[in-house]
Amino acid sequence: MGVHNSIGLGKEITITIDGKECKSTYGKTILQIARENGIYIPTMCYLTKVKPIASCRMCIVNVEGVEGAILSCQEKAVDGAVITTNNEGLFLERQNIMKLYNVNHPLECGVCDQSGECDLQNKTLEFEVDNQTFTAREQFRPIENWGHVSYDASLCIMCEKCVRVSTEITGDEALQIKFGGYSSEIINVKPEKNYATLGEAAAVCPVGALVDTNFKYIANAWELTQVPSSCPHCGGGCQLYYEVKPAGIENRRETIYRVGNNYEFSTLCPAGRYAFDYDNTTAVKDPEAFNRAIEAFKKAKTIRFSSMTSNEEALILQKLKEKYGYRLLSPEAKAYRDFMDAYGSVTGSHLYGGDLKTLGKSQGIIILGTRLNDDHPTVKYHVNMASKWERARVAYIHPMEDPEMQTIVTQFIKNEVGSEEGVAALLAEVLLRDAALPESARAFLSDLDIGQLSAESNVGEEELEALKASLHKRHGFSLIVGTDLYAHPRAKEIAKIIALFEKYGGYNVICVPPAGNAMGISLICDLDDEAEGSVIGYNVSGDFTLSAMGGGDLDMPAMNQQEGTLTTLEKRVVPMHVATPYEGYILNDIANALGLDAEYTIDYTAQLPEARGYKAVDFDTLPDYFDITGEAHRGYLLDPKSVPVDESFDEVAELEDFDGTIVYQCNPQEHFSPFTAMSKELASKPLLRGSAQFATAAKLQDGDTVSFEIDGVRFERVFKIDTSMKGTIALNPIYDMGLSWALLSSYRFSQVKFERMNNEKVGS
Amino acid sequence: MSHVVFSTWRDEFIDNRGKPQEEWQETAFKLPETYHGDTKSKAFIGWDGVAIFDEDIDAVVLATRYAAQYQEYSEACGRCAPGRWGGRILYDLLDKIARGEGSHDDVAHLKEISETMMVTSKCEIGKTVPKPILDLMTYYKDQFDACIDEQKPSKHYEADINYIAKVTAPCTDMCPAHVDIPAYIEGVRDMIFTESLEATRQTMPLAHTCGRVCPHPCEDACRRMNLDEPISIMELKRVGADYETDHALPWHHPFPVQPPRNDGKKVAIIGAGPAGLTAAYYLGVQGIHVDIFEELPVNGGEVAVGVPQYRMPVEKYNKDIEFVLELPTVNIYNNHRVDAERLKEIDAEYDATLLAFGTRLSKKIRCENEDPSYEGYWGAIAMLDQVNLWHKYGIGESPAKKLKDSTLVCVGGGFTSMDVVRCAIREGAKKVIMLYRRDEKTIIRNTTYEEYHEAVEEGVEFIFHSAIERIVDENGKIKKLIVNRYELVPDPDGGRPQLVKIEGEDFEIECDWLVPAVSQAADLQILPEEWNVELTSWNTILTNGRDFMSSRPGLFAAGDCEYGPMTIVNAVGQARRAASVISRYIYDGEVSLTDDEIMEDHLNKLKVYDKSEKITGWMPGLPRAVSEKLSVEERKDNQKEVNLGFTGDEAIAEAERCMRCYYISMVAV
Repeated sequence: MGVHNSIGLGKEITITIDGKECKSTYGKTILQIARENGIYIPTMCYLTKVKPIASCRMCIVNVEGVEGAILSCQEKAVDGAVITTNNEGLFLERQNIMKLYNVNHPLECGVCDQSGECDLQNKTLEFEVDNQTFTAREQFRPIENWGHVSYDASLCIMCEKCVRVSTEITGDEALQIKFGGYSSEIINVKPEKNYATLGEAAAVCPVGALVDTNFKYIANAWELTQVPSSCPHCGGGCQLYYEVKPAGIENRRETIYRVGNNYEFSTLCPAGRYAFDYDNTTAVKDPEAFNRAIEAFKKAKTIRFSSMTSNEEALILQKLKEKYGYRLLSPEAKAYRDFMDAYGSVTGSHLYGGDLKTLGKSQGIIILGTRLNDDHPTVKYHVNMASKWERARVAYIHPMEDPEMQTIVTQFIKNEVGSEEGVAALLAEVLLRDAALPESARAFLSDLDIGQLSAESNVGEEELEALKASLHKRHGFSLIVGTDLYAHPRAKEIAKIIALFEKYGGYNVICVPPAGNAMGISLICDLDDEAEGSVIGYNVSGDFTLSAMGGGDLDMPAMNQQEGTLTTLEKRVVPMHVATPYEGYILNDIANALGLDAEYTIDYTAQLPEARGYKAVDFDTLPDYFDITGEAHRGYLLDPKSVPVDESFDEVAELEDFDGTIVYQCNPQEHFSPFTAMSKELASKPLLRGSAQFATAAKLQDGDTVSFEIDGVRFERVFKIDTSMKGTIALNPIYDMGLSWALLSSYRFSQVKFERMNNEKVGS
Repeated sequence: MSHVVFSTWRDEFIDNRGKPQEEWQETAFKLPETYHGDTKSKAFIGWDGVAIFDEDIDAVVLATRYAAQYQEYSEACGRCAPGRWGGRILYDLLDKIARGEGSHDDVAHLKEISETMMVTSKCEIGKTVPKPILDLMTYYKDQFDACIDEQKPSKHYEADINYIAKVTAPCTDMCPAHVDIPAYIEGVRDMIFTESLEATRQTMPLAHTCGRVCPHPCEDACRRMNLDEPISIMELKRVGADYETDHALPWHHPFPVQPPRNDGKKVAIIGAGPAGLTAAYYLGVQGIHVDIFEELPVNGGEVAVGVPQYRMPVEKYNKDIEFVLELPTVNIYNNHRVDAERLKEIDAEYDATLLAFGTRLSKKIRCENEDPSYEGYWGAIAMLDQVNLWHKYGIGESPAKKLKDSTLVCVGGGFTSMDVVRCAIREGAKKVIMLYRRDEKTIIRNTTYEEYHEAVEEGVEFIFHSAIERIVDENGKIKKLIVNRYELVPDPDGGRPQLVKIEGEDFEIECDWLVPAVSQAADLQILPEEWNVELTSWNTILTNGRDFMSSRPGLFAAGDCEYGPMTIVNAVGQARRAASVISRYIYDGEVSLTDDEIMEDHLNKLKVYDKSEKITGWMPGLPRAVSEKLSVEERKDNQKEVNLGFTGDEAIAEAERCMRCYYISMVAV
């Protein structure tokens, strides 16, 4: 597909940098080409993952035939340019800039969090600033506490990286520059939101100006050991480092102090950044408990497990199934598997085709069946990038509006709860009108009763026509679907319609997997629908419960205490390493006791099923790094496998009634599971939140404690009126539900019966 | 020509110090020797040098104050390391010398920091501020040395001298509305689109409109042209406006909206076109009560009923209009025609009245047998009214009824005539001809390359060097036109070439419609005769072009009814100035300009853009972005917006080409 651009982007060019001939394409900056070719140009404000900031002016170079110093981070290289990156004149200018940066910079390196990994320190040394010829009047600037992060303006060099992350990547848009010349500073324009995504802004701060509030003054950078790993929380498997050191003088146990990441190229979400303290620190080897476990396994007919299970553990469970005929239950993963099987019956591949990079470059994006900002921050980041970089049209189709998405979404389409199948069909009818669909699909779409579907779903034909018009002549479309769809009673039918967009519409489709390693489990295990007999629960309650979160019959290690791999949203297999020690038994011990044979859990890595796209690669050979251009070399990508095609379509089913007050199971952006719930940094009280209209309809008052049941799990929640919300759907978080959490697996919108709890005080 | 003691302005070097008056050399530049009225300037200092008008000048203080102004300007910047710290150091060092505490080392440091700023600053302000300061340090070295050697304050350190500064840019200066163009482009570069929009709206409330249909005189003063091609300034404006609309955000006002003053003062505005809306906005946002009287049932003036939907979608223009009309202090009365009697009532009732009714009378072609009552004779304004009222508002009847399969001839050469012919194509006319007296080059200069090119693509036939001699009618219905052909004959004396008729080359065109779009006139029946309001020689309302008050106190005029048919941006610029003057006039009865406005006019006279300046420090050869348009097939039978606007890639790449040519200038009085 020829992408329109009038400026010649992508044309081949050749330039010379410091005598080296470099081939590249038009659109790349001089700095990018230099880096690709291993040529160093110093920068202070450059951050690869955002657009050039151009505030530090350190990256100036000379170009033959052009007078003056050229800013290499921003200026695109022109064919034939001959560039010098360093000479005495440039060195002196850079040295002067470093002198300016050091004017009145407090000499508090001894207590500064950034000391040891500070760009200002590094460049001050590099440019030999051993005396200061410039002075300016000192100014008093107090330290600001913005919740998760703190800001010290007097340390700030105004590189603007944090503002760019907040604008271009996380999209919280909380940080801005307060212009003021010498007294310029960064301001938080939405302090009341207490965004945990500000941690990503702090991560890129080259000095100690923007730091994690709770990390402040607790460790020096050089005391911490970085353990590279992958984040298990959301299913994105982002690269991170657990930064560990002994907890104290007496307690020499390695403890995670904070999470770092390769912020130059990738970005974490709040859970990835702050939910690291969920490791199981109290486990000990209790042989009796272990024996009871083995007995329980021998007795059990079913193993039920949560999605916080690594690929290797999933394979162990699958092997146990093969050996002993267990039923394997992991409802979220099963629903996702069924959805993807139906999806594959149209596309002919067992994986969806979309990826995040393409999403971030899309000019048109449709989001269906997910409260994206809460469900999957990393995907939301990429939608935000497309919004900022490509001015993408973003249609957000959901029964609930999300004010956090307002500056990203260009068209909100509200659909009735339960009508996702009809909506998907209507979307296909309008947007795939000109696609070369197979006869069955064409017949299915032309037989739709548009009027009826529009009326039922409340999605107007004119809304969809406006959507179509807004995509006219745009290039690169993405369709994001999420967990509302997977447990939908008509999930398989919806999947087949969505698949048409990938196969015939050229859409970059991402079927965002449920949180945890649901995608890996769905690929590795043959999952069952119903339990039978005695149940072993793994991180979910059972007749015998294995638990990494306490409260079980046998302790298990948390994800950050395990070696193993995860299967990510990017269809990538990425490694996790052990951040903190674990003293108890692990699943592999049980498996060995039951007749499997592997010294280490990671012996299973190379045995992951090739039929499902995995490769016979040893754990220890999995790469995990980004190259200088930002390309991820992390583990490996799954191979798409062909699956049989069945392009028959079923008539859209009549809509189930969803009248009255509805509760939507939705965690806040920071949380995914009982493991994130353990994070001290992210501790929050889970509330049932609804609009004033909801309160009236449900006859609830702000502050009421109510009880209700979903999937057999009983909730007790304080109800809170949220004035930013509208409509009759309330948000009910489930991350705090401990061993019950993984039992919640039905369609996310439920009609529930509230029982008001007695609020009377006990005693006097 | 100005009288100067000393000047380094724009590579001129004049030093009349110590010379007898008769030997004094004059400067070729229109420097502000007189500040305002009787007030003389002592000195003018700016990006391109320094000019001294008063021999008793304190160069040290002048340099210090200029550096101080840069500090003040930096209150709106601080985006690069050299500018942020360098500017502060510059001022601190100069002030140290000026107050008698400096050393010769400080002078050396000043030179060093100046060099770094000039080479590495992000915008031109940081690059140019050191220049006049270095000039003063060089040519008035003795004054600096005296302060240092004697360790005493310079002579005017405590003197009561007024220093008036103004920040501008070549594009901003050229823009009739003086939009802070570098700021809105920076908003796009930063991807904080609301800031871009707020920057535009400081002086231009019609961001959607002027992001689409402005003829962008600014782009003729873009310094980037000296390097490769001008920035696509106009289209970048649209980005912020579209962002607010696309995301259904609350209005982004450039200043806090003041609550209604409710002090009994009120202003009447006649006409809700670009000028009327602009004045209403800048008065209303200050809390001043405004009533607009609009003759038509719809708002927006000629941009609404004149400019076609495919160029200026009304749903976008309506956003600009709502932005103004939703101010709590602005009311509008539609279907309210103001005639002379009504104007007298209004004049009596309101504290000031602004006439902004435009030029809505189509002028005649001036050919033989021209009778506007002929069937088939259709004035451009009336024709476009019908097209736009129908397509945008569903008022009236479809113009296709008249135009389908017809032959239409338009006489013109400006934007209005382009709208006529391109609308006729869209209504299904079988043949559409534009007759123009001059050549292709001139029509492009009068409109835009895109406009002409797109009309040709859509099938409009352009006949250049031709003019109608006579209309042939049949019982009062136009039948055909007798057209003369002309050629351009160079003037042997080197003057403007003359159009000379070529004998024997006459030809005929049979047609159903003749649309004169040569020019428009103001409908002056609104002016009560006894007021004797002074008019220009082309029959528009006369003002001095600076405060926009007519010969009648309290009666102001802006936009086309003042200037004659001109651009939207011209109307906006005039109306904003008029609103500023009115906002003071209604309280003190005085017609006054602010220092900022006086400086604006000085700089405009001096000309900020220098087309011969050599650009350094930027990579040449980065092509200008061009937005995608609908293809001819996709556009020629409908009213869909032709220009799809920039993609994100294009918008950001284009914004990155902007060199932020901010300049600071200052007058000492």
